[in-house]
Amino acid sequence: MPHLVLDKVSIHYDGQAAPAVERVSIDVAKGDFVVLVGRSGCGKTSLLNVAAGLVTPSRGLASTNGRPITGPGSDRAVVFQNDALFPWLTARENVAFALRLRGVRQAERARRADELLGLVKLGDAGDKRIWELSGGMRQRVGLARALAAEPQFLLLDEPLGALDALTRERMQTTLLDLWTASHVGVLMVTHGIEEALVLATRIVVLAPGPGRVVRSFEPGFSRRYAAGEAIRSIKTDPAFAAARGELTDAIFEGEAA
Amino acid sequence: MTISSYSERPGAAIDKVDGLSVPWSRPSARRKGISARAVSAVTILLVLAAWALSARLQLVSPVFLPSPAAVWNKFIVVIKDGFVDATLLQHAVASLGRVFAALVAALLIGVPVGLVIGISTVGRGIFDPLLEFLRPIPPLAYLPLVIIWFGIGEPSKILVIAIAMLAPVALSTASGVRGVSKERVNAARSLGATRAQVVRHVILPSALPSILTGLRIALGAGWSTLVAAELVAATRGLGFMIQSAAQFLVTDVVIMGILVIAAIAFVLEFTIRRIERALVPWAGLE
Repeated sequence: MPHLVLDKVSIHYDGQAAPAVERVSIDVAKGDFVVLVGRSGCGKTSLLNVAAGLVTPSRGLASTNGRPITGPGSDRAVVFQNDALFPWLTARENVAFALRLRGVRQAERARRADELLGLVKLGDAGDKRIWELSGGMRQRVGLARALAAEPQFLLLDEPLGALDALTRERMQTTLLDLWTASHVGVLMVTHGIEEALVLATRIVVLAPGPGRVVRSFEPGFSRRYAAGEAIRSIKTDPAFAAARGELTDAIFEGEAA
Repeated sequence: MTISSYSERPGAAIDKVDGLSVPWSRPSARRKGISARAVSAVTILLVLAAWALSARLQLVSPVFLPSPAAVWNKFIVVIKDGFVDATLLQHAVASLGRVFAALVAALLIGVPVGLVIGISTVGRGIFDPLLEFLRPIPPLAYLPLVIIWFGIGEPSKILVIAIAMLAPVALSTASGVRGVSKERVNAARSLGATRAQVVRHVILPSALPSILTGLRIALGAGWSTLVAAELVAATRGLGFMIQSAAQFLVTDVVIMGILVIAAIAFVLEFTIRRIERALVPWAGLE
């Protein structure tokens, strides 16, 4: 079973007095949807970058399947807040990027890319240029591009952060659909409390100064969605409101009034 | 003027600002009032009229300032019969050939140098001072040295132009490379790209708009070096044509040559802007 493990990871950036993150452990198994939440400065993005292999922890160990993470790799595809798509390529070519790097033949690349574009409901946008797409569409292309690498883990750095509220809402279900269809393990960073509750199988609440884990929740709403329940019915469930209050308290716990 | 009468036309102040060609304001095609293009056209016509008038009134001897008509006639004559053993077209082709040969050389050297400057600290340490040394030296200053080293043949002429083009190409490439979004590079690496693949598939295309800008600046720099490059032992070329004409005080050919050089520069600039739009339509849209 694929496992992405951060084991007592500390991150101390050069030239800073205090560490950004101290002894944080996170475990993402295949099929998990782990969401990191917390106030600004709690090191959520730093932790995601450790998992991505873009930041080396000063102490502790990051590993996938027991092997230490030494750099970025296509087993852990990252989607950033700013989609970071390539404007000189069409949507289809963007999605096919990882396949092109591996030398997959043109026809096969296009076939796979169109399949993935269909999965994110952009089946007819393959020939579009990136700047012709809306923010939500671009983010869906970004997700399809990450999935094309056939990763074991998806690392999402506030992927819905730059979108408007309505698009965000729709993208949440898109994310859940992708997650259930692809069987990857997801590690995601977000500011959205409701978003975390809807998506996560496990929510890890971090507090700043230095970044550390204060609480961990297993909300279970995303499993209900995966089992077929409508998102509206989940969000109007009193249990959802209760969980929302509890999570909000946990995030702001210990903050000076 | 009262405040209320001013507020009746809230657009008045804005109209005035738009009349100026502020670099960040897009030139709007149709607008009431005066467009910058119309003002430019009037300016050019006025300069031509002043020129024609002073020539007609013989304010200056025609030896020094021939009339526009005389220059135009010379233009036709040189196209047909040539000047110093070559037609205007042959002169222009000789000059363009040198400039484009120099451009190819400058791109072949400048783009890789710019890449190295942008990517590696060591590369920047090596090439930055060299380019900064080379950049401000006027071509006429290094021309003698180039001739001492490489002779008076065609390679020297191309080299003089290429040296003038090198710095703009390399420095623009470097700034483009340094401006590549970090997220884009990280995204590519997390999709499995090796360092070489990141350079090939992300950094180079990201820097392409800057490289093309460098190319445009370089072409301008190279074109304005032309006369210097054709100072010594040329038998053809627009710069050579102007200099030979100047030696015999054939002022109409001198002026005609200057106008032809300007016209070609204008066409080149225009063409490259078209190429930029076709090649990097995303530039400025992100």
